Amino acid sequence: MLKQINTLLVTTIFLFFLLGGCAKKVDPNVKVLNFVISSKVKGMDPVYAADKYSNNEIARVYEGLLEYHYLKRPYTLVPNLAASMPKVSADGLTYTFKIKQGVMFHDDICFPRGKGRELEAADFVYSIKRLADPKLQSLGWWLLDGKIKGLNSWRKKYSSADAADYSEVVEGLQALDKYTLQFKLARPFPQFLYSLAMPFTFAVANEAVTKYGKEFLNHPVGTGPFILPAFEQSNKITYVKNPTFREKLYPSEASEEFKKLGYLADAGKRLPLVDKIVVKTMVESQPRWLNFLKGKLDYISIPKDNFDTAVIPGKGISDKLAKKGIILLITPSLDVTYTSFNFDHKLFQNKKLRQALSLAIDIHKVNKLFYNDTGLPANSVIPPGIAGHIKGFVNKYQGPDLERSKKLLAEAGYKDGKGLPELVYETTASTTARLQGDLFVRRMALIGVKARIQQNTWPEMNKKINNRTAMIWGIAWSADYPDAENFLQLLYGPNRAPGSNKAGYNNPAFNRMFEVASRMQDSPERTAFYERLNLLVAEDSPWIFGVHRQSYVIKHGWLKNYISSDFDSGQAQYLNINLKEKIKKIEVL
Amino acid sequence: MNIYVYTIRRSLYVIPILLGVSMMIFFLFNFISGDPTSILLGPHATAVQMAELRQELGLDRAWYFQYWDIVKSAFTFDFGRSWTTKQQISSMLSSGAIPSMTVSIPAFIISTVLSISIALLISFFRGGWLDKTVVFVCVTMMSISSLAYILFSQWFFAFKLGWFEISGYENGFPDFVPYVLLPILIWVMMTIGPNVRFFRTVMLDEVYQDYVRTARSKGLSEYYILFKHVLKNAMIPIITYVVIQIPFLILGALLTESFFGIPGLGSMTLDAINGNDFPVIKAMTILTAVAYIIFSLITDVLYTVVDPRVRLK
Repeated sequence: MLKQINTLLVTTIFLFFLLGGCAKKVDPNVKVLNFVISSKVKGMDPVYAADKYSNNEIARVYEGLLEYHYLKRPYTLVPNLAASMPKVSADGLTYTFKIKQGVMFHDDICFPRGKGRELEAADFVYSIKRLADPKLQSLGWWLLDGKIKGLNSWRKKYSSADAADYSEVVEGLQALDKYTLQFKLARPFPQFLYSLAMPFTFAVANEAVTKYGKEFLNHPVGTGPFILPAFEQSNKITYVKNPTFREKLYPSEASEEFKKLGYLADAGKRLPLVDKIVVKTMVESQPRWLNFLKGKLDYISIPKDNFDTAVIPGKGISDKLAKKGIILLITPSLDVTYTSFNFDHKLFQNKKLRQALSLAIDIHKVNKLFYNDTGLPANSVIPPGIAGHIKGFVNKYQGPDLERSKKLLAEAGYKDGKGLPELVYETTASTTARLQGDLFVRRMALIGVKARIQQNTWPEMNKKINNRTAMIWGIAWSADYPDAENFLQLLYGPNRAPGSNKAGYNNPAFNRMFEVASRMQDSPERTAFYERLNLLVAEDSPWIFGVHRQSYVIKHGWLKNYISSDFDSGQAQYLNINLKEKIKKIEVL
Repeated sequence: MNIYVYTIRRSLYVIPILLGVSMMIFFLFNFISGDPTSILLGPHATAVQMAELRQELGLDRAWYFQYWDIVKSAFTFDFGRSWTTKQQISSMLSSGAIPSMTVSIPAFIISTVLSISIALLISFFRGGWLDKTVVFVCVTMMSISSLAYILFSQWFFAFKLGWFEISGYENGFPDFVPYVLLPILIWVMMTIGPNVRFFRTVMLDEVYQDYVRTARSKGLSEYYILFKHVLKNAMIPIITYVVIQIPFLILGALLTESFFGIPGLGSMTLDAINGNDFPVIKAMTILTAVAYIIFSLITDVLYTVVDPRVRLK
């Protein structure tokens, strides 16, 4: 009996391996982009596009009124589904858009005869009302909360009802005719236009929402360059080129840096430039790295563990990778890492104590240990690349300076740490987070301050931060849009936790200045305000500033037009594959 | 006792066990876990939005209503939708269970049959060099961490030698086969050590029994004794060991799935824990409990099949 089972088993294993040898080969006649993401996509409904991964996937299918110019830096908004930039009233409260004519939704059974209909201004009214619909509990409501006239009242009215009435007119959100859309703001909000380039506000068709109901998030029907017939919670998403995509051309203008690098080679070509996109989810870094080296992925962010193999400090890409035609792209990210104090603890209302603790931290060691020495030490809250960042400014409380730290600690009333209670550094359970906590504890010991780590699951830590019971914790912030307001609001008093100001920093001078600056249109005056706020924060040290990270991406030479960007949703349509080069190179990888 | 009566009686145990599991889930979620609304709404959440979401999710209702929801879903298997992905949990379970099982079931069968065969073989040569070598190899294999198996195999067999796919998964037979071969091989390598040692011990317990000595004195061949007597009598601990593992096969292997990009239930559960996705955690806990009860019952019934001396009470 056992002999028979073994024979059967051996035969099965043999057949299994035989089938294993029949792995599919890449089709050399079709331009396919092979991407990887490190976290699962949660769904394809724009109102839930809160994370970077969902954002990018949604933007392959859906589109918004505006987008960032692909080849211009600093980031510049340009029309996408809008025919032109909006007319803005003198008081900055009314924005009137003309939308492009002849833009078609993807063909789908939700439309009569399965043919996609033309996009109308009313689709944006509908889509933005979905963002406000209390029944949907959108993750992007914060973006428009209190900003569009009448929208909050509409939301409030239906918060206890079974369903919201989308036909009810909202004063600040109206389609004046088939192609004219008007927004009336409740108060000046110059960052409003950035909202319209974010997937939260992208156009969906009410026919699709009605047809698919709660399953709408698995049936994306947009106007974008790619089609996803059905979304599955899997580790692979495959998009195909939208055959009815309007005539949209690769840009013919670019910033000097991109011109020099040959990014205009495809200028004037009709988008998208590839036939298909395959996006795979790989949570772990090793498979990402190995698949990239085998040419199965077109680009990746360099995993921390493989950094030394890929990059030679001060030189760039390693010779081994350069020989394979792999290219390194280094791009500063619009973000900041920091260690936050909880101002609800009276202890941290002592400015000198905060400054002393900040001086004790060795930012260079932090950079080396946790960011492979690729970060730019942060001197304040606003990162380089946006107005308000002060080039060359050095925060005088940036460590390491143990002597000054000890001096300030004494001035704060805690000479050699005496009288200071034990500090608790809250962290998640990941190895890196724990090591960061360890380093904090060790640095504090050097000035006589006792500290310990408290490990939590992310939900537990989040709860402590929002309940304002955490004492000190490390965290990071990445820009939602390229405006200093998005960073400064993290320290605006009325935004205290559970809002975005988790530290609970509340400086009346800062608050007043922020209120003025955040209502101003982009101008040198506003930049001056931002700079003053940036300096004020640097002096006040409500956080221990960490680094502004830089993205280190490697790509194969056959991938053309790729740019590492903070706002890369919609990027896939501009990318191209040099098939000849790929076929030649992939054989030797 | 009649096997049918026994089965019905044991099946009724599901009721108190599920009530207990529901109570435990309710307690853990309400008193230990963090506030799901701040996680779900992200860093921009305001107190008003969090309150609205609490109302939407029914978390503002009295505790006994919330507990009743858990009990109801435990008995109806209607777990609703995930809080984070908004997907129907039943479809998440069905689409995750198949990838998990395409790895775990073949690996489990291969590992079990291979381990029993090796254990029988070394029992036959007990005390000899083959026995000692196999035991040494098994102990060595048990000492290596599962992460080391995964990292090394993925790098060496898939990347360096190119024998397997590095990672990924395709739905449908035979498309998934190339992607599951290496995970299966790793699973077998990870489990064969402890399995062989366990089965060997069980076999050796039997080999020294009086009935084996009697069989030998009757002149029966060692091969016949091992297959016809020893294996049959060793079946009770083997069944207990093997069948009770089956419920966990559905759950897949967390690390293997994660490294090989297999969209199974293991990675789904981990995502749910990290995202405080209570409905998914609830579904997985309840299903595991039910599967455990069912397979315990199957184990008991199988005892009577392999050993007529066993009586169900």
